[in-house]
Amino acid sequence: MSVAKLGVALLLIAGMIPAASALAQARAASASDVHIEGHWVRKDVGGAGSFGGLADQIPPAQLTAEAAAGRGRGGGPGRAAGPAPSGRPNAVGVPYIVVERPCANPGRGNGALLINPDSGGIHIIENTDEVILAGERGGVRRIYLDGRPHPNLAGRTPTLAGHSTGRYEGNALLVDTIGLTPGNVQGGGLRTPETHLRERIEAAADGKTMTITYTWDDAKIYQKPHTYSYVFDRLPAGSYAFEDWCDAGDPIEKQSIVPPPQKP
Amino acid sequence: MNQHRVAACLCCAGAIVALASHLATAQGRQAAPAASSRDFSGFWELSVDSRHVPDANLLPTVTRAMRTARAKKDAYAVRWCNLLGMPFVMDSGRPLDIRQGRTAVIIVPENASGPRYLYLDRSTHVGEDIFDPTTYGDSIARWEGDTLVADTTGFHPDRGIATIPGGGYRTATSHLVERYRLLQDGNMLSVVFTWTDPKMFRTPHTYEFRYYRLPVDYEPRTWLPCDPFDEGRAQFLEGKAAGAATR
Repeated sequence: MSVAKLGVALLLIAGMIPAASALAQARAASASDVHIEGHWVRKDVGGAGSFGGLADQIPPAQLTAEAAAGRGRGGGPGRAAGPAPSGRPNAVGVPYIVVERPCANPGRGNGALLINPDSGGIHIIENTDEVILAGERGGVRRIYLDGRPHPNLAGRTPTLAGHSTGRYEGNALLVDTIGLTPGNVQGGGLRTPETHLRERIEAAADGKTMTITYTWDDAKIYQKPHTYSYVFDRLPAGSYAFEDWCDAGDPIEKQSIVPPPQKP
Repeated sequence: MNQHRVAACLCCAGAIVALASHLATAQGRQAAPAASSRDFSGFWELSVDSRHVPDANLLPTVTRAMRTARAKKDAYAVRWCNLLGMPFVMDSGRPLDIRQGRTAVIIVPENASGPRYLYLDRSTHVGEDIFDPTTYGDSIARWEGDTLVADTTGFHPDRGIATIPGGGYRTATSHLVERYRLLQDGNMLSVVFTWTDPKMFRTPHTYEFRYYRLPVDYEPRTWLPCDPFDEGRAQFLEGKAAGAATR
């Protein structure tokens, strides 16, 4: 190759590099256009129309004989229910007490509700080292993206959020969680601190919906991994997180309705 | 030297200049300190020397009785495990996890309340006609150079811990401007708070917190649940627990 040809070739290559770089940047921008950051609310895909109907759509977990035999133990305290109904209507002005300990949801502040979000919105913030999932009805989950391993569970107190690590596969965020408190799982499943929960969190190509596919994996509990999905609608741009106010000191929080005066 | 050789040399020189220019640009992009100075994501905590809080210049209409009543409401919020809100959450006694995303900065206190959001994707507050006042208010933020300026209105006048460091407390007419800026090569986060309120302050009340960055592998301590129905806890907070008066 002559010196002239070499020069021309170098000039062409030099001109192509910025173009290729621009193309790569355009691809990156395109990929980043579909992201999971934002405000989401669970969608009733099958038109179940009720929480019970939604729960019925989840395929039943295939438990091992040992897990099935031990079913029913544990599961956490939950909210304390009110007194059993008497079967007779309350007098005018006497409220129905439906919960003795309002606002005492044990998941508040630690992510229990976010493993399987309820009807409240969820909010996702994506950062280089960490993704945060926060729920309007309480709870924050952290998903570490910096390559750290899970901690040794020995001596570690299980939590309602567990310990989550993640990585991206295309636009999908793949999450692995262990260290959860023992308890129940949607579809009749169970979990222990050793159980792995794998989640695939992915927005649709148009960015308007997001699917979280949950897979619970534990050979001691499941005959095969227990998998189901939730679908979410993205809330409009400019949306914001509601503050879920609940005052346990307010007697009203215990009540359902107060029977009003009736017409004679 | 003939014309071909001159042309070849010019081509080579041009190519080298173009390559060098592109590489310099690319390196500049990667190493741009501005990018990191505009993202203060990480875990941050206050220490004993982290607070510069002058006394607030309160209006004479803000009486001692009003401040005492407010203090009782703050104590109620703690007693009943309410959401505690601003400004308490910025000095809650445990680290803050702050993460910046595309649309918002989220501030997650380790031990109390829910997360706080500083929205980057809108430049105006949610309209008063649809926004229900909250303990955090509605915060919008924008970058001014290497400083993130957050503007908050829409505070709830009663809920949470409303007492402001230096004096006074937030009301429905409070307006807070915060200026977040990294110091010391990104190892310290300065937050300058300025409160204005025609019902509370004679002059804008400004104070500064300086947070220390925690190691990147820091993980928050297991959340300590707040049980409003723990009678022993309630008695302790109300000064009725055995031994409380003798210590």
